[in-house]
Amino acid sequence: MPALRELQSAFLRAMFGPDEPELLETIVGDGLLPAARLQIYRHHVLTSLTDVLQTTFPVICRLVDERFFRYAADAYIRQYPPEAPCLFEYGAHFAAFLAAFPPCRHIEYLADVARLEWALHRALHAEVRTPLDPAEMGGLAPHEVARLTFQFDPSVTLLDSPWPIDQIWRVNQADEEVYAPVDLNEGGVSLEIRRWEDDVGFRRLDPAIYTFRSTLAAGHALTRAAEAALVANQEFDCVAALHELLTDGVVIGFTL
Amino acid sequence: MVHMSTSAKLGVGIGLRAPHVAEVLATRPAIGWLEVHAENYMGAGAPLAALERLRADYPLSVHGVGLSLGSAAALDNRHLSRLQRLSTRLAPALVSEHLSWSIAGGIYLNHLLPLPYTEETLALVAQHVTHTHEVLQCRLLIENPSSYLRFAHSVIPEPEFLGELVRRTGCGLLCDVNNIYVSCCNLGGDPVAYLEALPARAVGEIHLAGYAVNDADGQTILIDDHGAPVSDAVWALYRHALARFGPVPTLIEWDTNIPELAVLCAEAHTAERFFQRAEEAGYAGVA
Repeated sequence: MPALRELQSAFLRAMFGPDEPELLETIVGDGLLPAARLQIYRHHVLTSLTDVLQTTFPVICRLVDERFFRYAADAYIRQYPPEAPCLFEYGAHFAAFLAAFPPCRHIEYLADVARLEWALHRALHAEVRTPLDPAEMGGLAPHEVARLTFQFDPSVTLLDSPWPIDQIWRVNQADEEVYAPVDLNEGGVSLEIRRWEDDVGFRRLDPAIYTFRSTLAAGHALTRAAEAALVANQEFDCVAALHELLTDGVVIGFTL
Repeated sequence: MVHMSTSAKLGVGIGLRAPHVAEVLATRPAIGWLEVHAENYMGAGAPLAALERLRADYPLSVHGVGLSLGSAAALDNRHLSRLQRLSTRLAPALVSEHLSWSIAGGIYLNHLLPLPYTEETLALVAQHVTHTHEVLQCRLLIENPSSYLRFAHSVIPEPEFLGELVRRTGCGLLCDVNNIYVSCCNLGGDPVAYLEALPARAVGEIHLAGYAVNDADGQTILIDDHGAPVSDAVWALYRHALARFGPVPTLIEWDTNIPELAVLCAEAHTAERFFQRAEEAGYAGVA
């Protein structure tokens, strides 16, 4: 009779690997092969986790076809099994996995579409925070403003891609009936994904604004973000960009 | 703490699943209460916000599926504290978990996996339930699992194991009538005898759901997929459970092939008719 710890270790191995005779010996057949009984559990563990990934990445599933998706998900689950019971947090490595998965890594935009879906999913479950009230920033001296850093809303992801991933996402929605081809050569996008009011969504940002915001989101001070944006576009209007930053709900706090 | 006098008034509820949240918010159907899977609401975004709006109109039950009370390893304290925060925030009428395990070697297997019913397991689960009671500051209801295998060294019958767990920890029981039926069909056993062997006073909630019928090497195996209407056999067993336990808060669960909300509510209303008959029968309580 195995101790419970050994039994559970063997059961865990069997969920992702072959049957082990020592484990099968502990299972009563009751008219079935013990291996067939174990297989019921193995099947459920793998298919239920696959279903979780399919719910989180529906556009990837449409892009690669459900059969391939389930094949890729199975490989992902074996490589990155969940480490905690909150499965809305499961799938963080799926985009990187797809980028390296030999059968599909030639589909170059796939990983970035997965990053977009993951960002939308994260935004849905991110904590609801109150946006910064710009009035709190009244009375700052210019040298203080230059040093400001900002805390972004936890729902925000800034994501750029050499592919038009927003277009790819749109034409692959379940309710999208019109066939609209996407021109992969139309160029890349810089996206802001976040919660707006009760909805999560994304929008394209001007490349200089994207540089400005992503530099700030990385924790750098306002001066450095403005400089980076000016490198991206000499016409960058820092005052207008700062005003928009403070009034569109994307930041929730600042540090002097 | 869960008080039977108040929880009995809950009547019949439904398991709230994501596809129905918007409609429940908009139409507020006539349902006694709502049960949610704790793990789906441990984020702080839209799902939790929706639930907080529903709290005003419906008593809630928080049903954990990931605590893994039967893990040989220590409980995941991070997860337990998330459950504690959710429970504090929602102030649910009922809090429940399962007699099963799902975590080993730091990996979560997303299934309610079977335990050998031994003295070792009993001592371990009792310790984990007691620890959970201390952290949550409320009385857990422990649900009997649906099973597809049993271990050769499992020596304590499941209802007796649950009864002893109640005695050692003061927990209550969530009697899943469908799970009893499924397990008895899959492993052999008499569902009525199982019901009779449970400590009646400890039962604080009943679950009902449908199962799938599969063929495994020529033998019928019932899969507890919560993907169909409650079967006639389970309705009959439910009436037996009501006769034995009294009008205990009852829940309809539906997790795969999720139908229109109206179908789920109709199942709840069927349960309500049996439930009301049990109330009218003037349940006096049995030991």
